[in-house]
Amino acid sequence: MKHFILFLGFIFLFLFVSHVNKNQSLLTGDQKPVIKVFAYSSFTSKWGPGPQLKTLFEQKCNCIIEFVEGSDSGILLQRLKVEGQKLGADLVVGFDQFDLQKATVELSWRALDFSKIDSDPQIKAAMKNEYFVPYDWGVLSFVARKSSGLPATLSLDDLMQSQFASKIALQDPRTSSVGLQFLMWVLKVKGEEEGFEYIKKMMKQVHSYSPSWSTAYGLFKSEQVDLVLSYVTSPLFHKIEEKNSDFVALEMIEPQPLQVEFLGIPSFCSNCEKAEEFINLMMSPEGQRILMEKNYMLPVLKNVRTGTAFETVKVPFRLLEIEFPSLTQVDSILEKWSQIRREASL
Amino acid sequence: MLVAFFESIKYSGHLVPVSFLRIFVGYYYLQNFIFKFSGDFLVRPRVAEMISQNLISSQAPEWLKWVLNTYMVVHWQGFAFTLLALELSVAVSYIIGYVVRPIALVAVLTTLLMIYLSPAANQDFLKILLATHFAFAWVGAGRCLGIDYYFFKRVRGIWW
Repeated sequence: MKHFILFLGFIFLFLFVSHVNKNQSLLTGDQKPVIKVFAYSSFTSKWGPGPQLKTLFEQKCNCIIEFVEGSDSGILLQRLKVEGQKLGADLVVGFDQFDLQKATVELSWRALDFSKIDSDPQIKAAMKNEYFVPYDWGVLSFVARKSSGLPATLSLDDLMQSQFASKIALQDPRTSSVGLQFLMWVLKVKGEEEGFEYIKKMMKQVHSYSPSWSTAYGLFKSEQVDLVLSYVTSPLFHKIEEKNSDFVALEMIEPQPLQVEFLGIPSFCSNCEKAEEFINLMMSPEGQRILMEKNYMLPVLKNVRTGTAFETVKVPFRLLEIEFPSLTQVDSILEKWSQIRREASL
Repeated sequence: MLVAFFESIKYSGHLVPVSFLRIFVGYYYLQNFIFKFSGDFLVRPRVAEMISQNLISSQAPEWLKWVLNTYMVVHWQGFAFTLLALELSVAVSYIIGYVVRPIALVAVLTTLLMIYLSPAANQDFLKILLATHFAFAWVGAGRCLGIDYYFFKRVRGIWW
């Protein structure tokens, strides 16, 4: 027993001395502050914009950017709520307009003002938010293959044609913000009563309601469906990454919905100024270009698209105004949608 | 002591393959320790992250979940230091063959804790490691190619 206790005591003492020694050499050396950025996984992955922005920022700031991942903005907010203060969080990237109210209710945020930047006129309304800054945006549309011979312009009612029966891939609005966008779009354009009637009929046209955008897009890519709800920039992705120009984002007769991605600094941040500097980088022409090219979304800053392949993206003339629905509004709409879904599957 | 170290092969030669495994496991623990110590295991709340991420789906008893959530996440530095020190203890003990029996029992407990705190993908490996530690404690694996033989000869008792 004596040997065992002495041995353990020696090991603990050895580790303690080594740790103190290591810390002292770090303190006298170059110890850099760590900025914790909570972001969704496609932002932090090696093909996302995160790593490039991190490298660029670390070159200038004498600090370390550390990403904390969440699979989507909902999970991100949950993690932030449960462990954000314990783990430390300086910046959160990846909310959409549906998350903002929830985020504001559940946590407190640092005020940010980027309203004076030269932003794209289409998203001026989103720039006015007191706590969250939009860093990129997209327009939703149905994407099809040119070779399928569809007209370049469609209306929501055209989607009810028999040729599209079980040939449309949509996202589940309970789990995907793109799916929720479609639901809100229909209700906005048609009004609540007629909108839900439309959704009811749409159940027959839809191949499946996928849990995420990527699953729905996978159905489209594997030619199981003819149409998928995606972004107007999606065809450009195929053109640049796959050298395939067969894809087209259809122009809709109705005004199309906008999706805006936001970032914010929680009030319990520990490196708040550095986090704000990181936002400055993301909102600079260089940062916006990285975000545009990696996320395949449109830049918030005007003129960043000029001279790039993104200049060719046709942003529809008719766009819906950005809205920030309340939690109760979203919950009640989702409840009705779930009921229709249940009835349809009976 | 050095003579006893080599003499152990003559008198407990049947344990040579077990000793090989013991030294290998000790080396594995040493590598893990070096990786964690030279990284940020002691300065960033890695262990708190591990608890937060994996405890929800863990099979751990409720009281353990409560203790880990209430105390270990908050005092993650002390918890991380203890885990790392125990990892180093296992490494040194297994490599030199000193106090292997009690250390193997400590290793059983820490591995059990790690099973509760690890993602499902790592659990099969940890279960095999758990059985290995238990076997080392049972057989007294420090008595061959280890310092334990020296004390075993002189002191006897269940510790060697």
